[in-house]
Amino acid sequence: MSPTQDLTEMSDAELIRMEREIAARHINKFPYFAVFWAFSNFLVWLSLWPLVFMGVIPLWLGFVIACLNIILSYLPSHEAQHDIIAKPGSPLRWLNQLVGHVSTIPLVLPYRVAKYTHMEHHKHANDPEKDPDYATHADGPLSAIWKSIYYRQPRADGGLNAYGATLERIGRPDIVLDGVVYQLIHFGILFALAWSGYAIEAALLWWLPRHLALTYIQFYLSWAPHHPGNESGRYRDTRSFRSILGNIGSLGMQYHIIHHLHPRIPLYRTPQAYWEMKPILEARGCNVHEL
Amino acid sequence: MISVIKVIFYLGPLIFGLGFLAPLSAQIISAAGWTLPFGMTPLIAGLIIGGGLGLIAQIRGTWV
Repeated sequence: MSPTQDLTEMSDAELIRMEREIAARHINKFPYFAVFWAFSNFLVWLSLWPLVFMGVIPLWLGFVIACLNIILSYLPSHEAQHDIIAKPGSPLRWLNQLVGHVSTIPLVLPYRVAKYTHMEHHKHANDPEKDPDYATHADGPLSAIWKSIYYRQPRADGGLNAYGATLERIGRPDIVLDGVVYQLIHFGILFALAWSGYAIEAALLWWLPRHLALTYIQFYLSWAPHHPGNESGRYRDTRSFRSILGNIGSLGMQYHIIHHLHPRIPLYRTPQAYWEMKPILEARGCNVHEL
Repeated sequence: MISVIKVIFYLGPLIFGLGFLAPLSAQIISAAGWTLPFGMTPLIAGLIIGGGLGLIAQIRGTWV
């Protein structure tokens, strides 16, 4: 099928069949790079602490690397959340769960909190009441950045603060405890470092990079692929878009529409799946005009 | 236990101000070599800055 082929005359059943055939070619591919990425990224971030404390690398360099590490920490967990590394019951399931738990430690985001709220995002994308990521909706990029920061404030009722309400709604208030434990440990470590004379290091290797990373991640993983986010439904709640930072700079999110349609396609295969599926997406009236 | 955790989270901004911003401010002042008025030590200045910012955030419910 050519990327410019017109399929608008095809029936729903034919479009579904073709879409599924394409998706099937990309599902069940083991994401080796995502597994390597998860552990290497975490180990590099961990190594920054002794390297900076011993003066092997300057703090400013540690800060830059920590920002990159924490920005990159979410996506391997995202692959695990969708069981892309290994499905329940398979021999490598332990690896799927390990990647899920380990990769987001620098982000202070527990795996179970991320997984359960993310599944709700997929079920209810753009629903103001049920989409846990709805608070990232904004009119433009600057507004999106501001809302990401605003909803991270102590008494804000959106953003990460809304995840607790989502977990209560789906009957898993027990998972809120994961978030509480992570927060207490995170702040306990920051306070201990600060009062031991390493406040600037703690601020520049974890606290500030984490906030910058959360803003970046919410911008590219939540706001940009769903903007303007005023429609819901399988072919309406997300889009493809062209980022000034390219697909890598936007954390692979230019082709996010493929992820929402077929969440078990690994991130690295979404561009190829997108170009193969594009005539079908156009026939469905999807927002794929930018790319 | 739960009520203790709730109090800790409720007082989060104030605790963060005193627990993190205070030593952070003190260490920035020391690293910059600033001379403080009234013979104030960097730690006292840090506690005033961190505690003050934390108290404001506690009352307003936001840091920004």
